[in-house]
Amino acid sequence: MNVFKTNRLMKNLKKSSLAILLPGLLFFGLMGCQQEDVPHEWQLVRTIALDSINPIGLAESNGKIWLSDGDHNRVVLYDLTSGPVRVVDGLDRPMHIAAVSESLFVPQYGNDKVEEIGATGRKEMILPDSLDAPAGVDVLGNQQAIADFYNNRILFFDGNEWIVFGKEGKAAGEFYYPTDVQLTETEIYVADAYNHRIQVFDKAGKPLRMFGKEDKMNATTGIFVGPEAVFATDFENDRVLVYSPGGERLQILEEGIEKPTDMIQLQDKLYIANYRKAELLEYGWLPVKTTPEKQ
Amino acid sequence: MKNIQLKQWGKAIFLALVIFGAQAATAQKAMDQFKIQVDGLGCPFCAYGLEKKFKEFKGIKQVAIDIETGNFTFEYPAEKALTLEAVVKQVEKAGYTPVTTMITRADGQVEESGGELASGNSGSMDNGETVASQATLKVAGNCEMCQARIEKAAKSIAGVTAASWDKKTKILTLDWTGKENPLDQVSQQIAAVGHDTEKHKAAQETYEGLPACCYYERIQD
Repeated sequence: MNVFKTNRLMKNLKKSSLAILLPGLLFFGLMGCQQEDVPHEWQLVRTIALDSINPIGLAESNGKIWLSDGDHNRVVLYDLTSGPVRVVDGLDRPMHIAAVSESLFVPQYGNDKVEEIGATGRKEMILPDSLDAPAGVDVLGNQQAIADFYNNRILFFDGNEWIVFGKEGKAAGEFYYPTDVQLTETEIYVADAYNHRIQVFDKAGKPLRMFGKEDKMNATTGIFVGPEAVFATDFENDRVLVYSPGGERLQILEEGIEKPTDMIQLQDKLYIANYRKAELLEYGWLPVKTTPEKQ
Repeated sequence: MKNIQLKQWGKAIFLALVIFGAQAATAQKAMDQFKIQVDGLGCPFCAYGLEKKFKEFKGIKQVAIDIETGNFTFEYPAEKALTLEAVVKQVEKAGYTPVTTMITRADGQVEESGGELASGNSGSMDNGETVASQATLKVAGNCEMCQARIEKAAKSIAGVTAASWDKKTKILTLDWTGKENPLDQVSQQIAAVGHDTEKHKAAQETYEGLPACCYYERIQD
């Protein structure tokens, strides 16, 4: 961004002397550095009333957000400035969804199917085994992962074959009702809901680390892995917890949050699904507010 | 001649269709309608789970949960004569607390249960004098389903007129009337339904039988 601005400035000031330009550049450069140094945090910016859409899962598609509305058995494509632009009905309790280009992947808790909804139609995902209440799905390139709620396991397709890992329990690698899953380039993140923690696996299904338990979460119902942080919903405690990918807690978000189920980060904005209140909260990545006490 | 035969055939087919239609209509109507008001719905994963598990019963139709209102409805074949008690038991087994249950039988008869919450209450002492008191008890639990279960257990004890459990503080506040302070009985009853109190611990198997979202952190000895 700074380079772009600098180039434009250079074109506009072709005839100007370097004597004027250089000190100016130095000044803006220093200002830029100072901006970077200001500590930032997530802060509530606005509340978006969804008008009877009770969102459970969120997924981004060309700047718009897909909302799964489990209570009303539908998914809704929502434009953040104008409202709903598309509704797909006839689903059976859609949960944590994933969007890739024009396709939306929808796990249906009620009928044990995962459907792909494309621009031209709908088709059922072919799976290696039957599910019992699929609660979350994620797709990354040709890889796919599904959180199989009542079977306490994760199904992962690595592009060639499916692997299945996990069973009911509290130990590392075991689950107590997983509700959401997200793939990164090298890892698989799981919202291990009623063990009240996040678990991280490699792509062979080997447990690598887990965190969140020490923060006394009460149902980790949703997870989002952003570029720099991992977000987890703490459903019963009305919070969203922010961690580093290694598991260090960075921030606790509480303002406006009530029965959160999922979140998604779009650049410097974080959208949180307030399931019960039928709302989306928009949090911004903003300079830390200074209070008189802090000063 | 041919026309007369065709007309007779037509009449016969029409009659057969009418009879078949009437039988089909009767068969369609032979479903009992169930409406249960469930307390403590909140977590969609558990609520949809209850719906899903009921869908597995053979012959059940139109299973639906309205999370907003707490209404859980379904239809079941009348010939199976599913009882109120069996439905209440099944809902409780799934971890929910039925407040009222209503069956509209296929023949139009209506059966209702409810008001169980106040069944144990007695508002006065033997001599007719009424004394109202309040007491508190620490009870472990997690969610709104826990709250409904804890409050129902408390209110089932004679003398308790009101019970309110705070999810955040874990404190149960009781209003009661009568000679005896029912706190100990209330505590035992709550432990019996799966929740540790400061006085009594729930049996391990009862605790493990709670739904996932009610899996609270146990009170240590």
